Amino acid sequence: MSPFFATYLRRQLSRRLREAVFVALGLALGVGLVVAVSAASAGVAKAETGVLSGLYGVGTDMTVSGPPPLTAQAQAAAKCRRSTARVCSIAPGVQCTRQGPDLLCGSGAAIGSAKTPTGSAKKSAGDGEILFPPLNRTVSASTVASVARLHYVAVATGVLTLVYQWPRGTYSVDGVSTGRTSVGPLSAARVLSGRYFTAADSDADVALVDSAYAAVNNVKVGSTVTIRRVRFTVIGVVLQPQGTSPPDVYVPLARAQALGSPDKHDVGNLANQVNLIYVAAARAADIPAVQSEISGLLPGDTVTDAGSLASEVTGSLSAVNTLANDLGRWVSALALIAAFALACLLMMGAVAHRLEEFGTLKALGWRTRQIVGQVLGESLVIGIVGAAVGVGLGFAGAAIIAAIAPTVSGTLVNSSGVSSAIGSMQQVIHNGGDAPVTWGAVTVPLSPSVSIGVIVLAVILAMAGGLLAGLFGSWRAARLRPADALRRVE
Amino acid sequence: MTVSAAPAGGTNSTSPGTADVLYQLSGVRRFFGKKGEVVRALDDVDLSIGEGEFLAVQGPTGSGKSTLLLLLGGLDRPTEGHLSFRGRDLGGLREHELAPLRAKEFGFVFQTFHLIPTLSAQESVEAALAPFGLHAAEYVRRSAAALDELGLGGRGRHLPAELSGGEQQRVAIARALVKNPTVLLADEPSGNLDENTRDEIIGLLEGLWRERGLTLVVVTHDSSVARRAERIAVIRDGRVSAKRSAQA
Repeated sequence: MSPFFATYLRRQLSRRLREAVFVALGLALGVGLVVAVSAASAGVAKAETGVLSGLYGVGTDMTVSGPPPLTAQAQAAAKCRRSTARVCSIAPGVQCTRQGPDLLCGSGAAIGSAKTPTGSAKKSAGDGEILFPPLNRTVSASTVASVARLHYVAVATGVLTLVYQWPRGTYSVDGVSTGRTSVGPLSAARVLSGRYFTAADSDADVALVDSAYAAVNNVKVGSTVTIRRVRFTVIGVVLQPQGTSPPDVYVPLARAQALGSPDKHDVGNLANQVNLIYVAAARAADIPAVQSEISGLLPGDTVTDAGSLASEVTGSLSAVNTLANDLGRWVSALALIAAFALACLLMMGAVAHRLEEFGTLKALGWRTRQIVGQVLGESLVIGIVGAAVGVGLGFAGAAIIAAIAPTVSGTLVNSSGVSSAIGSMQQVIHNGGDAPVTWGAVTVPLSPSVSIGVIVLAVILAMAGGLLAGLFGSWRAARLRPADALRRVE
Repeated sequence: MTVSAAPAGGTNSTSPGTADVLYQLSGVRRFFGKKGEVVRALDDVDLSIGEGEFLAVQGPTGSGKSTLLLLLGGLDRPTEGHLSFRGRDLGGLREHELAPLRAKEFGFVFQTFHLIPTLSAQESVEAALAPFGLHAAEYVRRSAAALDELGLGGRGRHLPAELSGGEQQRVAIARALVKNPTVLLADEPSGNLDENTRDEIIGLLEGLWRERGLTLVVVTHDSSVARRAERIAVIRDGRVSAKRSAQA
């Protein structure tokens, strides 16, 4: 390459600065939009991952649950809602009263609302309390062991999810394994105070409480939580990842199972039962194989992976997801095409003004490829400048998105069974099981992030845009007959 | 029709004297299509130009003078006829074969200078050296020497817009000569200049022709310029209608 190439390049860019700036800005706008949308998309994906991993637990690839509300009590609640009677019974000793849109259920004379518990603190323990049974069909612990033994399964753990309602309030309870496992509802939890379960706690009346529940109810390590007249001593307060909807209380699985018994007419016998199995595949590529294996082992049960769970997330998280991934991509693609087209037009316009110059260069003995190379060199530099400015604009756009849309909400329409013990229960109580079952709304922080990959992509796009513009421009220069160019002004 | 060189201050001749023939044109035509009509820029031109000759091509505006110069410089091709340079068929050469010829053999000087507006005087001269792949220092040395020779030693950093018409034409001449061409082709080199500057530029070209022994072809409509040549070819309506010696 001739040393004159750099001299000429420098002079062209510095003395035709305005044209160069226009082309670079055109590219920068397109690239900036791509970076900003990619950052927003990454932020949404991150938030979605946060929700899903929170529902699963970090490291969990899928969950297995029985069919949603099919219990006699749930069916009775649905029937009760449809009936014209003001008061009806959904289980022996459990009566519900219709009050407007709500169905208020409870045992004996004390009836609390699942939506707005109104029970009196003065009522004696046991009065007005109800332990709702898991609405997913339970399976025995041996089934969990069978799942764990499947060829492609790395680890599996069973959980019993319950909802306890008494006159002072309602809270959700997860019975979990006391061993520290890489899957399950506590796998992503961080102990804020106190300690985690140990193997020795498996039959102890001890509990972990979620930090949000602890803060609202002023529960600390050493406090007690009473479930069905059993006083569980709080040994730790745990924090789950942001954007998740954890249960309020965790107790050892065996103790949760003991809350039910044949003589407890509301939940029945829960001994050795779980209603949700958390599973991790040996490798990510094995997930489909694991699904297939489990379906063979537990026909009729629902296997939920991240993909199917993500499809059930609705609300603004879903809307933002759609916006970022569908509309955003279209908008950024169109903007990029427009930016490229603009850059090409500007470059061709600039080249058109230089035809005399190129004719002169040909008269001086420049080869066509030298002239094309010169134009491409200029375009490449403009593309690099456009990339730098575009990445800056992209960062600014991401910052603006983060500033004006700090949080989005996500709602899981739970037809698959994950965590349905809580969501389904509430829905059954309120709607009698007629409406889709929801798993509450969660608020998720939207924090757009610009990755190195996106920056590299932006630089490549801008340089490609610059080169494309240069090619269009130099194509005309290459086809130029020197005599024609010189005759234009002679 | 044949136009050939006459010795300086001499008589009409059908050949370029004792000099070797550099250009040979036989039945050269150059037609252009314009709105369905054929414009005959050059029509059946026969012409020989000897090496080291100073030829003036004279004629009114639109007579085909500049077209002839573009053909001689390998910037255009004849529609018909034969045009050779040192025995090579210029019309049959492809673009990649013509480019080195233009780089080494031909120097152009145009009426409107054709200086690149973003390049300084020195850089404009360096542009003519770009096809040779020289070292950076060699660019600077040769372009500075060329400007010095043309009396522009102190103007190397100036842009064309900062130079007078005469200075711009000097830069253009320096650019044409920096590569030591065989032929200097000048198209109305004084057309945009005042009378004093015209004489200065033409005198400069004549001096360079004498000193360097290069072949000089000057297209002009100005008789006072043409008279300084060894030989004059008169073109009218695309045809070389007369030939006469410079002092005839």
